[in-house]
Amino acid sequence: MTDLLAQGPLPTRARFSLSRHPGWLCGLLLLLSFGLALSDLGRRLPLGEWLAAMTSPAEGDMAQLILHFSWLPRLCMALLCGAVLALAGSLMQQVLRNPLASPTTLGVSSGAQLGLLIATLWAPWALDYGREWVALAGGGLASLLVFALAWRRALAPLTLILAGLVVTLYLSALNVTLMLVQQQDLNAVFIWGSGSLSQNSWSGVQFLLPRLAIGLLLLLPLLRPLALLELDDSGVKSLGVPLRFLRIISLTLSVYLAACVVSVVGVIGFIGLAAPALVRLLGARSFAQRLIWAPLLGGLLLCVTDLGIQRLAGNLAELVPTGAATALLGAPLLLWLLPRLHLAGGQPQSNDEHSFARHPFPARRLLPLLLALAVGIVLALGLGRGLEGWSWNLGDTALLDWRWPRVMAAAAAGCMLALAGCMIQRLTGNPMSSPEVLGISAGAALGLIALLFLLPYSGPLAQLALGGLGAGLTLLLLLGLSRRSGFAPEKVLLIGISITALFDALQVILLAGGDPRGQNLLSWMSGSTYFVGPQMALWVLVCSLVLLAAALPFGRWLELLPLGEGTPRALGVPLGRGRLVLLLLAALLTAGATLIVGPLSFIGLLAPHLARLLGLARAVPQLLGAALLGALVMVAADWLGRTLLFPAQLPAGLLASLLGGAYFMLCLYRR
Amino acid sequence: MRWLLCVLALLAGLAQADARQPRIAVIDWGLTETLLGLGVTPIAVAQTEGYRRWVQAPELPASVIDLGLRVEPNLELLSQLKPDMILITPQFAASRPQLERIAPVHMLAIYTPEAEAYAGAQRVTRELAELLGREAQGEAMIARIDATMARVKQRLATRALPPFYVLTFLDERHVRLFGKQSIYQGVLDRVGLRNAWNGPTNYWGFSQQGIERLAEEPGAALLYLEPMPPGTADGLAASALWQQLPAVREQRLYGLPPVWSFNGLMAAERFANLLEARLAPEIAP
Repeated sequence: MTDLLAQGPLPTRARFSLSRHPGWLCGLLLLLSFGLALSDLGRRLPLGEWLAAMTSPAEGDMAQLILHFSWLPRLCMALLCGAVLALAGSLMQQVLRNPLASPTTLGVSSGAQLGLLIATLWAPWALDYGREWVALAGGGLASLLVFALAWRRALAPLTLILAGLVVTLYLSALNVTLMLVQQQDLNAVFIWGSGSLSQNSWSGVQFLLPRLAIGLLLLLPLLRPLALLELDDSGVKSLGVPLRFLRIISLTLSVYLAACVVSVVGVIGFIGLAAPALVRLLGARSFAQRLIWAPLLGGLLLCVTDLGIQRLAGNLAELVPTGAATALLGAPLLLWLLPRLHLAGGQPQSNDEHSFARHPFPARRLLPLLLALAVGIVLALGLGRGLEGWSWNLGDTALLDWRWPRVMAAAAAGCMLALAGCMIQRLTGNPMSSPEVLGISAGAALGLIALLFLLPYSGPLAQLALGGLGAGLTLLLLLGLSRRSGFAPEKVLLIGISITALFDALQVILLAGGDPRGQNLLSWMSGSTYFVGPQMALWVLVCSLVLLAAALPFGRWLELLPLGEGTPRALGVPLGRGRLVLLLLAALLTAGATLIVGPLSFIGLLAPHLARLLGLARAVPQLLGAALLGALVMVAADWLGRTLLFPAQLPAGLLASLLGGAYFMLCLYRR
Repeated sequence: MRWLLCVLALLAGLAQADARQPRIAVIDWGLTETLLGLGVTPIAVAQTEGYRRWVQAPELPASVIDLGLRVEPNLELLSQLKPDMILITPQFAASRPQLERIAPVHMLAIYTPEAEAYAGAQRVTRELAELLGREAQGEAMIARIDATMARVKQRLATRALPPFYVLTFLDERHVRLFGKQSIYQGVLDRVGLRNAWNGPTNYWGFSQQGIERLAEEPGAALLYLEPMPPGTADGLAASALWQQLPAVREQRLYGLPPVWSFNGLMAAERFANLLEARLAPEIAP
């Protein structure tokens, strides 16, 4: 077991074998979509009328009209959108040399969604010009923000992905806040957000086709220099390729392509990530191969999913939005193929390591943090709003009874998430990882959703059990799938993203179905301390302190693990077992925190970075500093949530994302 | 002498009734509406602004205090208000343990999987009336609304009306079709109209569908509730399929002012009155 765990990446087959060729899967999907389409057609119209219905439907014949104005454009749209998203994804992955890049990862989708939400609520006149323009503007602005954040690092791949991740999380938090407060107005955006391909004229296809043609024409002269990006930075530069220019141009192009699709059919997130990854897994090694096969696969995958939904779901078809269902199909497919994916493990490819100044006396940083936390807790307990406006009521025990469980739970959850984040970032040697990103939080959330729909109105104990089970199963999956690669950072992250995509899909389906129970879900997912009673608060507080104590002895391992494979082994760290223990501990921390503040929070990603920015570079000071910072940010967020929009209360998890996210972006930009 | 005693007794009764008026906090709009229908004004309601925009009638007095979001009514505020009872529906049951620390919580469900919404709304009206000792008002309200249904049925019976799709627009491609289990189904049944949508519906009695489903019953008319989301009217005007729908081509399209689709008897009454005014305008009182 230990030996297995300690193995490095498996040697890869260099030869291009017929048994592993993307053509097989594409062919299979093609056959499948043909079969589905024909049988669907057969149910709708007799064979003799097919041609007539497709070219010129008879006036007044509803079956023919539906085929012409709804069924056929929808089929074309599925193929087109899938192909374009896959193309955009392939481009981004090539430019950034990172299998995690996709339109969703760079903020396009969430930006577009936020644009639509804002327009719906405050500028409905803008929608009269067409939803696609609003979405295009939102998506464009979001990706501009991402590029701006990474600008000073010359758009280095890792920084850019990090910026994309932060912006995406940030915008999602804003989206959820708006949906929480103004749910009734935003039903249309829910539908759009889950990616519905349903059409009722050819206008969508007519909108997309010319824009895509322009995009493709602009892409042609870039193909040769892009293919050179298989080499490393210095290699490309020595060949005279203007690297930054090339990156900007091709990223802009792919954002434009993706935004066009997103603006018309909504968020179909997973294809842009999965299709290029899948063809790579199936043996398409060169850029040219991927550029051909990924769009084919993407289009067919979306098409099969869409036809399958229309066929299988019948009356419920509209409740299962295609964009979400694609993730339901694509994520397991990717998870199944992942152990076969060859990625360079260990260190990030570019010389993009973040360097931080280390403070010589960590205690001088930790003590003020501790003091700040104490002051923060007292303020959060004493200061509040009531019937007569603002008041200081630390002496009012009735009010304190409501407040202290929430404040304590917030602090404990923040501390646990921060610890988990620290450990996971060191474990994977990857500054982009966190419990949120690895899908452990999503796993816990999935368990809770299952409970909500199978056994509504069950108590907190059942929630605790099922949430913990979900997190545990996710962790097992993570362990099982990444064992063979020795936990190569990119692979672990991809697994996490797949699991999160599964969770997002489920959540989106539940919300788009208009089930009012979704509202409860939304409020829990955004991380509310509202439902925490005194017992629960004490429980998490003890939990966080015990786990903090348990984490500190692993400081030396955490110090050595980011150094790659060789150094820790030479210094006698049992690599496989060490990682296993640390991952388990991190999962426990995550599960505990998720039960309180939901899967959306930012703290796990944020607090470790903040600690390092303060100069807490070594493992133990970083753990302690991050724990204090995490608790502080959560307490502040909880207090703001309770008072900002009084009497309405915003969840602490959301405000933590908004607070921390803004600061984090600033830091990212300054560096 | 005797009438003086009578008046005194009456006055005493009135004063007592007023003193007994309990302080009620309500988390759900459907219960708020029913409560107002019974002539009782709650002291606090969750999301009052939303109620005024989406439910509209019966009007919520300005004195009612806002409790914040329905999913998370403000506990500190609620405990300061010291209500005598709190009314919730199963939809917001998650906060029940917290609310019970403040005042007795009564959970009433208009929408249940077992019974149709109209019957559920009648049952909740009775339960609420009993809870407040206003049985007479409750029965009167139920009888009045039944009578409204009968009157509207009589008015509409004189004209040959097609089956109706009852819907709200989500965007230019999607609608919510109301059917079994919805409050509208109860009204349609009682005023003698047929619902063209008899497909499956969810807990709240609607099903989300693409607009092409509106062609399945070619003879049906479309009855949509305002408001239309921004941009939808333009989108529909540009949609070839929409223009070709039998109901649109033959102009069997009726818009109604907003009704909150997830409420009880008061919403049913409002819907029936609006139906009458729209479908039989010249003979409406």
